[in-house]
Formats: sequence, C-alpha cells, structure tokens
Amino acid sequence: MPDQASNRTMDTAGGAAGAAPPAVRVEGLWKRFGEQIAVAGVDLDLPAGKFIGLVGPNGAGKTTTLSMITGLLRPDQGRIEVVGHDVWKDPVEVKARIGVLPEGLRLFERLSGGELLSYTGRLRGLPGEEVDKRAAQLLDVLDLAGARHKLVVDYSTGMRKKIGLAAALLHNPQVLFLDEPFEGVDPVSAQTIRGVLERYTASGATVVFSSHVMELVESLCDWVAVMAAGRIRAHGPLAEVRGSARSLQDAFLQLVGANGRDTGDALDWLGGGAR
Amino acid sequence: MTATAAGPAPSLTSVFVRLKLSLLANGLRQSSGRTAAFITSAVLALLVAAGQLIGFVLLRGTAHAASLVVLLIAVLALGWAFLPLFFPSGDETLDPTRLVMLPLRPGPMVSALLVASLVGIGPLFTLCLVVGAALALAHGAAGVVAAVVAVPLALLVCVALARAVAAANIRLLTSRKGRDLAVLSGLVIAVGIQVVNFGVQRLGQAGGLTALDPAAAVVRWIPPASALGAVDSASTGAYGTAAAQLGLSAAALAGLLYGWQRSLTRLMTAPDGSTLAAASEPSRRGASTGLHRLLPGGRTGPVMQRSLRYVWRDPKTKTAWVTALVIGLIVPLFNALQGTGSIYIACFASGMLGIQMYNQFGQDTSAFWMVAQTIASPRDAYLELRARALALLLITLPYTMLVTVATAAVLRDWRALPEALGIALGLLGAMIATGAVASARFPYSIPQDSAYKNVAPGQGGLAWISIFGGMIASALLCSPLIALTIWLNAANAESAIWILLPLGAVYGAVVAWGGLRVAAPQTAARLPEILTAVSKG
Repeated sequence: MPDQASNRTMDTAGGAAGAAPPAVRVEGLWKRFGEQIAVAGVDLDLPAGKFIGLVGPNGAGKTTTLSMITGLLRPDQGRIEVVGHDVWKDPVEVKARIGVLPEGLRLFERLSGGELLSYTGRLRGLPGEEVDKRAAQLLDVLDLAGARHKLVVDYSTGMRKKIGLAAALLHNPQVLFLDEPFEGVDPVSAQTIRGVLERYTASGATVVFSSHVMELVESLCDWVAVMAAGRIRAHGPLAEVRGSARSLQDAFLQLVGANGRDTGDALDWLGGGAR
Repeated sequence: MTATAAGPAPSLTSVFVRLKLSLLANGLRQSSGRTAAFITSAVLALLVAAGQLIGFVLLRGTAHAASLVVLLIAVLALGWAFLPLFFPSGDETLDPTRLVMLPLRPGPMVSALLVASLVGIGPLFTLCLVVGAALALAHGAAGVVAAVVAVPLALLVCVALARAVAAANIRLLTSRKGRDLAVLSGLVIAVGIQVVNFGVQRLGQAGGLTALDPAAAVVRWIPPASALGAVDSASTGAYGTAAAQLGLSAAALAGLLYGWQRSLTRLMTAPDGSTLAAASEPSRRGASTGLHRLLPGGRTGPVMQRSLRYVWRDPKTKTAWVTALVIGLIVPLFNALQGTGSIYIACFASGMLGIQMYNQFGQDTSAFWMVAQTIASPRDAYLELRARALALLLITLPYTMLVTVATAAVLRDWRALPEALGIALGLLGAMIATGAVASARFPYSIPQDSAYKNVAPGQGGLAWISIFGGMIASALLCSPLIALTIWLNAANAESAIWILLPLGAVYGAVVAWGGLRVAAPQTAARLPEILTAVSKG
C-alpha cells in the first residue's frame, strides 16, 4: 500500500504541466515554532483555475502553510510565488491579487456586516460606489442582507464565515485562500458558500481551501494535496490521488498510515460506570 | 495505571499554584524579548521594594513612623484594588470563568485561587513593603507577635481585595449597561490620585508630618492598614486596641473572600451579560452617517471612521478613552482649584490622550490581519498610521485646548496660556510620534475575553516598558521647546513669549510627521511579527 501512495505522487509531477503559470508555487518551505517543526520542506505547484483542496489531520501544518503563502506568517526558509510574483519580495503585486479567509483570527467585530465590507473595500483602494454596489450584491447572495446593520460580534459562526468570504471576494481576487471555510457552519450556509465558490471558479479563478472533512473535499475539489506532519504526502487531480481506494477518506488514511489503529486494552476502564 | 488506582487527588491549591507557575513560564518561553522585558520589570520592582524596605527601617523610632506607615499601606491597598483594572499588569491569575465546567466547590476554589494569586512580582513587592512597615513599627515581644500576625494578614487582604474587585467588575464589564457604569470607575482612580496628591501637598505646606496625624488616626482603623496599626498599638502596650485592629483586618479578609466567592458563584452559574445583550441587540442604523461624507477619501477616511467607531463601540477602547479623558481633565483642574496648580499641568491631558496612540495594532486584536492584507508598501503603512493619528487628533486637539484654557481660567493665569498651549501641542505631537514607533516596534495583545486584563500573560513588562520608554522619549523630544520657554521667561522677554504657541504647534506637527515616517517602513516590514504579537489574547 505505501508503494502505491508514492507512485501516485510521482505520476502527477509530469501530469498537468501546461503553458499557464501555476496559481501558487512553493519551494522548500520550512517553519519551526521552537522545538516543533510545523512545516518541514513543502514543495508544491497548485494549477490555476482549479478548485483545490488542502487536506490533512489536525496539526498537519495546513494553517501554517496557508498563512505563509498569504503573507501573514514569515517562513523560516523557502520561496513562495503567487501567479508568478514572489509573496515576500513583491507584496504589492501579490496582495492585490489574493483574497484570504483565515481560521482563528478575528474580524473587526464592532463594525456591522455592511460597514465591514465598506471599510475593507475602501482599504483595498476600490472606488466607494463600486464597493457599495459589490457589497450589496454579496450580502444578498450570501443571505446576509437582513443582518447588514447588525454588529459582526453578534453574528453566528456561519454568518461570520460568510461575511469573511464576502470581504475576501470584494476586490475580485485571482486566487482565493480559505482556511477551514466550512468548520462549524450549518448545512444551509455551507450550501450558500459552495454555490458562490463554484461560480467563482467557473469563471477561471482559483480557490485553495483547507479542510479535514474528506467527503466535502471529494465532492467539491478537482485537485487535492494531502498534508501530514508538515509534509505533502500526495498531490494531483482528485481521481489520481484517490487511486483504487473506495473513497478519498480511505486513500487518505492509507497515506497518513492511520488505518487499523486499535485502542486495545488501553481504555478498559472507560464505560461511564463508577470512577 | 488506571484512574481508580491513582491514590488521593493532589490538593486544589497546589494544582492552581503549579498552573499559575506554568502559565507564567509558558508566557515567557514564547519570546526571548518578552523574557528580557519581564526580568527587567521584575528587577525594577524589587529594587524599588528594597529601597522602600530600607526607608522603612530608617523610619523606625521616629515620631511619625506610625502615621506614615499606615497611610502608605492604605495607598498600597488602593493600588491593589484599582490598578489591575485599568493598567497593564503582570497579574496573570487564572481566569475563574474558565474553570466553570470543573466540579469544584466555591469554598476550596476561592482559597486555592487566593494562594495562587500570591505567586508573582506584585505580591512579592507588597510583601517587602509590609515587612518593612512591620519592622518600622514593632517594638518589644508583643509588637513582634502582632507583626507576625499582621504581615500575612495585610498581604492577604490586599490580594483578596484585588480579586474581589476584579470579579465584581467582570460582571459589570460583560453586561452592556454595566460597561457604561464601569467606565465611570475611571473617576475613582482620578479622585484617588488626587487625594494622594492633595495629601502630599498638604504635607509640604502645613509644617511637615504632623499634618498626617489626623488622617492616620482614622486610617489606622481601616483594613489592611489596621493590621499595621495593631503592630504599633501592641508595641505601645495598648493590647485591647491591637486586638480590635487585627480583628478588623481579619473580618475584612473574611468579608472580601465571601464577596468574591459570591460573585464567582454568580459568574459561573448565571448567564453571561453579553449573551443577554446580544439577543436583544438593536440593529445599527445606515452606514452613511454625516461623518462619513466629511472625512477625506482614499485610505484615510475609512481608517479614521473605523478608529472613531471603535472608540465608541469597543468596550476596551472606550474604557481607555473615557479614563484618559476624565483623568486628563481632573488632574489639572483639581490642582488649579486647590490653588496649588500650575497651568503647565494641563500638559497632563495631552500626555494621557497621547498614550492612546500606543499599541495601535494591539487595539485591533488579531483582526489586524485585515489591515495587514492591504498594506503592501511603506506608503500604505504611512497612510494607515497617519489616518489613525488624525482620528486621535480629531478628539485630542480640541480637548487639549479646552483643558488648557479651562486651567488658565481657573488660575486666572492668562499670560502663560500661549506657552502652556504650545508645550501641550508639542507634547501631543511627540506622543503621536513615539506612539507610532512603539506601535510598530512593541506591539502587544489586549485580551478581549477577560474584562480586567489589558495585556496578555507574559507581555506585561513589554507593555510597561513601551509606554514608559515612550513617555521619556516624548519628554526628551519636547525638551528644546521647554528649554526655550524657560529661557524666554528667564530673559523676561514678555513680548516674544506668544511665539511659543505657533512654534509649539509647528514643532508638534513636524515631530509627529517624523515619527510616522520612521514608523511606516518598520510597520510594513514587520507585518507578520506584529500580527503574531497582537494575536495572543
């Protein structure tokens, strides 16, 4: 089984080498927090115009990698290019072309949803009327129009993700990075977010999102990268990475080597009885 | 090994003390700069404490030792009650609301938290002072016995007072109505400072320490100063009085612990005020307010608007502003009303408000990423910082003038108004300059989940050093202006003194511009580091 996994990685390397530059190119990326190595040498080319899923268990380094690609965290080592521009040497070109929805960071929550979009759009240098027009449409499509005057601090998790998505889309970026966009989101909001993202990629833009929910990635993405313990274990079109396994979940468990782990006798006291 | 075979559980107190030590150590482990800041502030605190200790020992046997000691202990207790609420403090005592899901009884929990609160620089500092106070007063065997009881008692009352006030304020600060009330406690500090100030001035006027005796006669019955009063009483043979004073302190400790326990129980069982408020939160009005249209376009307008909205809507920012505005007004005016003031004290207002420029990005919390995403060049960073400074000036400029003019009116010192205003404006500019640089170089987190912490664990030293270093730097930046004022006054150049007003205004503007220019490239180059530093809370 492990052989099969590494073959898959090999296969994809020469697969889709077309003329267009990749949306994201990462070379030799490292990040260490004290003793802990969060990202241990990631090399990755993400093709443009695809719906890309970055999957991996908790603590695999997904958030750290995305933070470094989007310029929110300084890498210890490595080169990152987004649509041909170096993220750390040429931030002017990169920041105008990307949209970000990070996980675990706040928004300006004492603004209302409408005010937040108005503020973000103007900070991005868009003309005021254009910002208001786009904001109204985004709020409408994302089903937030009724809550536009409510403070973000009073929003639910799903509403926060949606307003964050709206803020990330406002300047019509070429590449959109979403860290766990469906975490804690109710099915209705999730469906709304899906609809907007599918429409966005259909017009040629790239979405890169991280998740640990395999079913979701399998149903949404056409290209995936599997990450575990700070490294990329496999990457390529969904069908190639899945290979002969029944589902992405199975293929993933084989790749990270977590299949058939048994608790054995270790938890024999567990049963909810006496202490 | 299974759970049932683990033997008796460790005592709650030792668990909490170890947890507190781990939190302290982990907070320090995250960055070496922070460790250095922590050690520096610890050494400074201990040096001051040692100085005080020596001072107390020298006081021993002097006529007014008892009066001085009880008053100092009372001031110390006041500090314990209010300082942790409003200023960055090193107090990292566990947030009791985090323990809500654990099956703990309030009684043991309160005593365990109390003991854990004794770990830290602040309690050590206090212990030094109280021991010094006891050394200054204790004579004879009875005095020593009283001192042995009084020292721990006074220390415990101080710590319990801080915890009880903080716990009561959590409730206040988490409810929307309460927030407005809590904001008023800024007044309490302002008045407290004034009382001390007034006392010190009386001391200077009215023939030395004798003036303290009437106040001390009352304070020696107020806990925790009464514990030290008991040491004095026991030393002079008044055993009944001593016992009564010790009893008062002990009763106060019991009362504080009871009150603390009650607020904790309510905190952990009643719904959070913010939840109730959120459910009935009225919708905000339309976005295009009048202000919107008056502000400049580009990046400047939106940034100013957001800063000003945060002053009004964000409870942490609002508290800081109201406190600064109230103290900035009260200190010069009270001094003037007492007839002891000087118009130059009006500069205090610019100083208090200038502090709001410090840690700009910490005030954003981790939402700073939204700003970082739109800063791609030093130019962007400059516009961002300038817009924030402009929003600050929109409030502080008229306010500084108001306070200076009002102080001049009370003192009827119109002659000195131009120069005082000039210096105030120069100082405001210097505070903006140093504040911008400190925001870029020394950002720190302002925890949002805890109503009474203004700095994240382990970053307290950093915060203090950034603010005090900045204030000293601002004073130095203003020194040419001050020197010129002194020189013109000394030379009796009455006709030329008015020039200090335009000169101060221009000087302030130039210094502020220079500070923003220096801070902008540093901000642009340090975006990820700033984001990491402000995302701890």
